[in-house]
Amino acid sequence: MPFLHERLPNGLDVVAETSGSALSTSIGFFVKTGSRDESNELWGASHFLEHMIFKGTPEFSGDEINTRFDRMGASINAFTSEEDTVYYATVLPDQQHEAFDLLARMMRPALRDADFDTEKLVILEEIRMYDDQPPFGADDRCRAAFYGSHPLARSVLGTVDSIQSLTVAAMRDYHWRRYAPGTIVLAASGAVDFAALVESARRLCGEWAPAPAPSRLVPDPPRQPAVSTTERIVRPTAALDYAVRMVAGPGEHHSDRHAARLLSILLGDASGSRLYWALIDTGEAEQAACIHQDYLDAGLFVTQLSCDAADVDELLTRIVEIYGATAGGGIEQAEFERARNKLASRVVLSGEKPRRRLFDVGLEWSHLGCYRSVADNLRIVESLSLDDIRRVLSTWPLDGPAASVIAGSGSGG
Amino acid sequence: MKQTLHSATLDNGITLVGELLPDLESVAIAFHCPAGAVHDPLGQCGLATLAGEMCLRGAGDRDSRRVVEDLESAGVLWSQGVSTTHMSFSGAMVARHLPEVLPIYTDVLRRPRLPDEEFSGAQQMILQNLAGIEDDPTHRTVAMLRRIHCPAPWGMPTEGITVDVEGIDVGHVRTFIARHVQPRGMIISIAGRIDWDDFVSRIEGLFGDWMPGTAAPVAAGPRGPFVAHVHHDSQQTHIALGWSVPPYCDDASHEATAALSILGGGMSSRLFTEVRERRGLCYSVSAGYQTHRDFANALCYSGTSAERAQETLDVMLAEIERLPGTITAEELDRVRARAKSGLVLQQESSGARAGAIARQWYHLGTIRTLAEDLERYDRLSVPAVESWLAAQPPRDLSVVSLGREPLEVSRAISA
Repeated sequence: MPFLHERLPNGLDVVAETSGSALSTSIGFFVKTGSRDESNELWGASHFLEHMIFKGTPEFSGDEINTRFDRMGASINAFTSEEDTVYYATVLPDQQHEAFDLLARMMRPALRDADFDTEKLVILEEIRMYDDQPPFGADDRCRAAFYGSHPLARSVLGTVDSIQSLTVAAMRDYHWRRYAPGTIVLAASGAVDFAALVESARRLCGEWAPAPAPSRLVPDPPRQPAVSTTERIVRPTAALDYAVRMVAGPGEHHSDRHAARLLSILLGDASGSRLYWALIDTGEAEQAACIHQDYLDAGLFVTQLSCDAADVDELLTRIVEIYGATAGGGIEQAEFERARNKLASRVVLSGEKPRRRLFDVGLEWSHLGCYRSVADNLRIVESLSLDDIRRVLSTWPLDGPAASVIAGSGSGG
Repeated sequence: MKQTLHSATLDNGITLVGELLPDLESVAIAFHCPAGAVHDPLGQCGLATLAGEMCLRGAGDRDSRRVVEDLESAGVLWSQGVSTTHMSFSGAMVARHLPEVLPIYTDVLRRPRLPDEEFSGAQQMILQNLAGIEDDPTHRTVAMLRRIHCPAPWGMPTEGITVDVEGIDVGHVRTFIARHVQPRGMIISIAGRIDWDDFVSRIEGLFGDWMPGTAAPVAAGPRGPFVAHVHHDSQQTHIALGWSVPPYCDDASHEATAALSILGGGMSSRLFTEVRERRGLCYSVSAGYQTHRDFANALCYSGTSAERAQETLDVMLAEIERLPGTITAEELDRVRARAKSGLVLQQESSGARAGAIARQWYHLGTIRTLAEDLERYDRLSVPAVESWLAAQPPRDLSVVSLGREPLEVSRAISA
């Protein structure tokens, strides 16, 4: 699958992984901005802006944008995280030009006052929706506890108060600062006509004015807790308790990030992992998972547990003991190879879907400025050894000081 | 687009359906046994789900752990689930692993051990899942809609009912599996990089001597009330609406699904435009189609703050009522475009295709080619959709709300 890259004079990177056998074309704008790039006054602005991008350009209303994409048969969506805002569309190849044309125009939104006021109501509904659902805010609260004063502590959605006090003028300024060509990557995958894409990008994005690239990192690295902390969120009607526990792990610039992902599969994958056999198979927990997350300058091992309120403290303790025993007692080669086979299989299976590859290609370029093919990823997975896992376990003790938050009825311990 | 589709039926009643996707490295396979939740006896809602879990807990020479470990050693991304009609075991893998994986699934289906010592863990697992669902307002709302709208046992929750699951013992599970996990009516679907002849011969070798039992009939009981409220102490109120439409096997389902897509299928749909975009009433609102073999229903859903829920319901009902007589050619063009790209994009995924051809076989007794499906969309017309809507306008709606206060169904659409 050939990889192609071109940088426009204003700094916009255009990258594509093209495939002769793909039936679809996927295109995405990967904007290097998220909740970590906000101030307290702008808390939630990245995600709110993601919604506003769909509400219209100077020439098109929001309804017209929706209608045009549906007429193309496009599958279009967007997401916002701590570090990225991504807009993406998948279409049949003959719609590449039209889909890109509209997506590119949307990156220069009208941000009309009336649309802002209506969409604010939708954002507030989204906040309430998540607040009503497990883990009842425990994930955001835990990230806040773990990261303290570091910008990664900020939740993506913002709060009811921060959204209510956000002004459209502040959002316009945020957009101007964060959606400059040097902070956006245009990525494509599948049946891509790259020459045509670059040509369209020159025409539609070539005039975007460059702006100084804002620094994304703060002088102080993320604070790691010296002692463990536990907070509780009380939801009297909750049927189960939901615990989130965070300890440090390798960030995305660290060579151990791949081994960390493999370790999380071995420890806490949804099936066949140590947590699965100890807690899920026995019916003691509804969920017990370990996930590795990486950011520009930090990484996390996140434990997610849901179980009866009466058991939550004991099961969290058992999970930490399992982590400790894994580090201390060793791992059988067969267990390691099973986890590696699973990871390799996921790389191959997700790699054959061009729509999925868009995110790998776009985020990798956006964060690390490099490209890795599916074959490259497979080689990395296959080169991992048990020693790599042992090194991760000793460098980032999963049974070390952690931030934990438990949401539930409060009827447990 | 050239398609290579296959089907074959073994003497014992197992149907094999397959599609070659030569550009993929993967293969996806699914075993669909006619042992779904409709066969749960009265007072044992959840038995099929518990039986499906027990099948994985030791089979043939493998104990519980070995079943999972052998699947995962071969890099199989596996899943197991029970729907209203089927107990299904699925896996996706790099194609070369298929020969070593088929015997594992054969053991799971034909030789589950169902040991006493695994029962408690399996039962607790299902009970944990049920407790988790208690905390999922959307799931509960839609499940309640199914429950009141569909005739029993079709509307019963496939995941079970806590008090029923607590009363099930391992003997019930063994009886259920002996009766229902059998070759008659079973569909094995496969898609991806396949060698069809080799696959059929392997399945014949592994399953050919499995003796069929008799098909288990299901008698449809009464439906529930038309309006129901579930008290839940939440900020948002959740709303689900349903009414009857033709099943997938009925030719009119094409017009019905087109009308539902116009109502709430895309970003330019009427519900999305009127409820979310114009009024900002909610984050999610949609309309969809749920089909069984003999009947189907439309399903609309939204969730919004308690104080705005009445307005949301009123706007949803008004849009449903407005549908007949107002379909435009532009709307239908968009339905066609979305459906066509969806059909083509499905060809990029072995899992999606294995699912689609199994569904078609179950509902239609045949597999449609992509060309046939696309041609059906080309034939859709405004007069045809309008004529169907005139004959079968949305009526006798079932309405469920879940939240602090019940809502007033002020615009009851009824015959």
